[in-house]
Amino acid sequence: MKLANRAKYYFRKPHNVILVALAISLAFLTLLPLVSLIRDTFIVHPSEIMTVRGAKVNDVTLFHWKKVFLDGAKSFKLFYEPLWNTLEVSLFSSILAIILGGTFAWLVTRTNMRFKSFISVVFIFPYIMPSWTLAMAWLNFFRNSLIGGAPGLFTAITGVQTPNWFAYGLFPTSVVLGLHYSPFAYILIGGILRNMDANLEEAALILKSSRAKIIARINLPIIMPAILSTFLLVFSSTMSAFAVPVFLGTPVRFQVLTTQLYRTLNGLNPGYGYIMAVVMIVIGLSILAVNQWYLGKRKSFVTVTGKSSNFSLIRLKKFQIPVSALALLFVIAIAILPLVTFVIESFIMAPGNYSFSNLTTQFWVGPGREDIGGGEPGILLNKYLYMAFWNSLKLSGIVALVVGTIGGLAGYAIVRGRGTKLSSAVNNLAFFPYLLPSMAFGAIYLSMFAKPIGFIPSLYGTFFLLVLIGSVKYLPFASRAGINAMLQLSGEIEEAAVIMGIPWRKRITRILFPIQKSSFLSGYLLPFISCMRELALFVLLITPANRVLATLLLQYNEKGWNQYANGINLLIIIVVLLINLAINKITGASIDKGIGS
Amino acid sequence: MPKIVLENITKVFGKAAAVKNFSLVIEDGDFVTLLGPSGCGKTTTLRMIAGLETPSEGTIKIDEKRVFSSDDGIDISPDKRDVGFLFQNYALWPHMTVEQNIGFGLENLKWSKEKISARVKELLAMLKIEGYQKRYPAELSGGQQQRVAIARTLATGPKVLLMDEPLSNLDAKLRTEMRSELKRLHKETGATFVYVTHDQLEAMTLSTKVCLLREGELQQYEPPLAVYHEPANIFVADFVGSPTMNFLAGRGQNVNLDQVKIEADGLNMIFTPVSGSVSIQPRQEVMLGIRPEHIAIADQSSVQATIYSTLPSGMETILKLQVGNHILTSVVFGSKDYQLDSVANIRFTGDRCALFDKVSGKKLATGSLELIEE
Repeated sequence: MKLANRAKYYFRKPHNVILVALAISLAFLTLLPLVSLIRDTFIVHPSEIMTVRGAKVNDVTLFHWKKVFLDGAKSFKLFYEPLWNTLEVSLFSSILAIILGGTFAWLVTRTNMRFKSFISVVFIFPYIMPSWTLAMAWLNFFRNSLIGGAPGLFTAITGVQTPNWFAYGLFPTSVVLGLHYSPFAYILIGGILRNMDANLEEAALILKSSRAKIIARINLPIIMPAILSTFLLVFSSTMSAFAVPVFLGTPVRFQVLTTQLYRTLNGLNPGYGYIMAVVMIVIGLSILAVNQWYLGKRKSFVTVTGKSSNFSLIRLKKFQIPVSALALLFVIAIAILPLVTFVIESFIMAPGNYSFSNLTTQFWVGPGREDIGGGEPGILLNKYLYMAFWNSLKLSGIVALVVGTIGGLAGYAIVRGRGTKLSSAVNNLAFFPYLLPSMAFGAIYLSMFAKPIGFIPSLYGTFFLLVLIGSVKYLPFASRAGINAMLQLSGEIEEAAVIMGIPWRKRITRILFPIQKSSFLSGYLLPFISCMRELALFVLLITPANRVLATLLLQYNEKGWNQYANGINLLIIIVVLLINLAINKITGASIDKGIGS
Repeated sequence: MPKIVLENITKVFGKAAAVKNFSLVIEDGDFVTLLGPSGCGKTTTLRMIAGLETPSEGTIKIDEKRVFSSDDGIDISPDKRDVGFLFQNYALWPHMTVEQNIGFGLENLKWSKEKISARVKELLAMLKIEGYQKRYPAELSGGQQQRVAIARTLATGPKVLLMDEPLSNLDAKLRTEMRSELKRLHKETGATFVYVTHDQLEAMTLSTKVCLLREGELQQYEPPLAVYHEPANIFVADFVGSPTMNFLAGRGQNVNLDQVKIEADGLNMIFTPVSGSVSIQPRQEVMLGIRPEHIAIADQSSVQATIYSTLPSGMETILKLQVGNHILTSVVFGSKDYQLDSVANIRFTGDRCALFDKVSGKKLATGSLELIEE
């Protein structure tokens, strides 16, 4: 009886109900698949009957593990080389992202550089745009004819043939990913710099320190934890990047883990792919562990933040004009120029010929022609495009609604239940999908939902599965946004309403949500934008009936229909930027309020 | 030795002027407080002296050397002005220990390791924080952080010490304690102190001269007691002193050669200036300022007041008295209490009541005040 009473009291608090519901469903949606994935690395799959001699489907075997790790030169080609490539790409791109993002963050928050508002808006663009945007732009500019095909704009203008290492593989992949994630570093480091009390620097200045010494001895040590966190997050994000290595690596057979994962899962040896997914998850978890350990270790000197109300910006003096001009050119080059190349590329008839007479509107509004693109009509007349466009919008919209709402409630419940074991468990569970590389996560869901489990029918090929995986994958964004929003509100604000007998639903919708509207709305915006430009997560789960813009783009690219691909990409970017801008203007929610992948 | 001169300093942020055509001479060895409500430009002024903020116009000289001049394009950077600066939130570097914080400035002066550690020890002793040298700022209490910040500022032995509300983050008890220590420090270092505060009590008790600012303009620059007893205008009179001065608005006219007769909504008074005479227009609008300690409870008087409230604190009792339509504050020294709503005889004492012109706010004269019956 006593127990029943206690349960009754416990569940009378709405946040406990939410916590329990979330704990159960998240365990089912994130932990169970993990178990299923590990099981998949040990069994024989239907397509592997021929390779694993004398085995039946679902037999337990160590075959995959041996092949991936212990088969000499074959393992090297299959696993170790892609692993090494992945680590190299992740390392270089993280360093590049931090240097670029950190420099821009410093310039914008601390100096009197000109055009700040323009630069800080445009610098974020590469992050809002799909990650392959810059990869395609790179190809548009620098592709060469050494491996066949037409050369890019750079060669057309200068006549200089770009070497392979510059056009494809490790170098451009690292640079492009570094550029794509530098806004991420910019947001994180800039946030710390903005909150870092400028008096700390002024105190050093008065005590006769040089500017360089202030950066080295004061700024850097204080933002070090942020830099490390950024490094680890960018590292794990680049590790799971798929589209960029596909675009820039495939021409020279530069393989990374994600591309290998795609090949093996779509090929004859899914067992290998599942093992690679496990490896990626292990790396992701170790990164989180390092981060936690480091943050825990430095507890004794937490950053003392304060408002920097009285702060005069560093005067760049004679460097002001050159620095501002350079920064301006840079953001234009990485954020605006790519769009120009998409426009150009989508309007030319024969690739590589940039003369005026070669311009055509065929790929936009032309009727299908037998000799071009397999008879597909121009993008704007293509019914597949409209279908994919509609699917993308529908998927992103539904995912955003689901995730934003659940994330907001999760934030509410986690903050209200703070200190309890359940609350921190739900907090970790809701963040867990962030650490699962998208491709690996897709692989897990593929493996788990390909067949019926209990009362749940096989979900493979359904739109519902896409919504489900999108919702779980982007929950970390929304739950972080929700937690941040709730942490800024004192509990008394809700308690004042409780005392007046206002029901829970009304407290949420009439009091808490309106006060932190922009933070909560960021929890809707981020998943929407991420979903619009997601490729790796969906690519394994998409069937022709429910393809989205991103997978359509990949298809056109695989077929080498460059003009269509450029045109579609332009469409995606325009939609994403417009929606971001609209939401930003209407609600004040913005992408830099949350975290991103 | 350092004397600080500000000439016609103006500072404009965007469209708003934070400091307007402000001139000030701070003599060597002075302890000057810049006092005023928030947003009056006092912190901006201090930061301009340090070089952390650039004036829009004017000249600043430290020790006869021009460190800023808008006319000649001189702007010496803060590290070359030889000043110390104490920040409101201490600005201790969170990633350095106490001794690293204190020694950082000496390191920049290329002192040897031994000399630095000797100097750090000396400062730790001087500020009574021995034993904390290995700790990080986050592991110290507010008062200890404050002492470390002072030690760090004093380490390089600056001859000018600029302080931006250094005590405002401390609790009341510590604040009182630190006040007397700051006064000792001023004596011991012999440096010129410029101190920003919005707390009039701090300004009164610490400084040799108070500089009162309002909306970026200088109101009065005199020793604390002069500011207290001879306020230049209504704003100063109201800002300085606790409990605040009583103000009675009324109309005045000259009577008997040098006296002024004032009618203030039912109260009639005769004001006698201490020295000289004051001439006003007939029926001129005036404001009388009477410090609470100048309203006394008397055995006999022609005027009666009702006790509206009493706040006995042991050392003194603050009374609110209802006289006609006015509520006046009075301080009665000693341990006394009164019945609420009882009637008391009151009179004005001393010759330091102030008479202001109500329109311009300027002080016309100080003198004695007498209540009369019609």
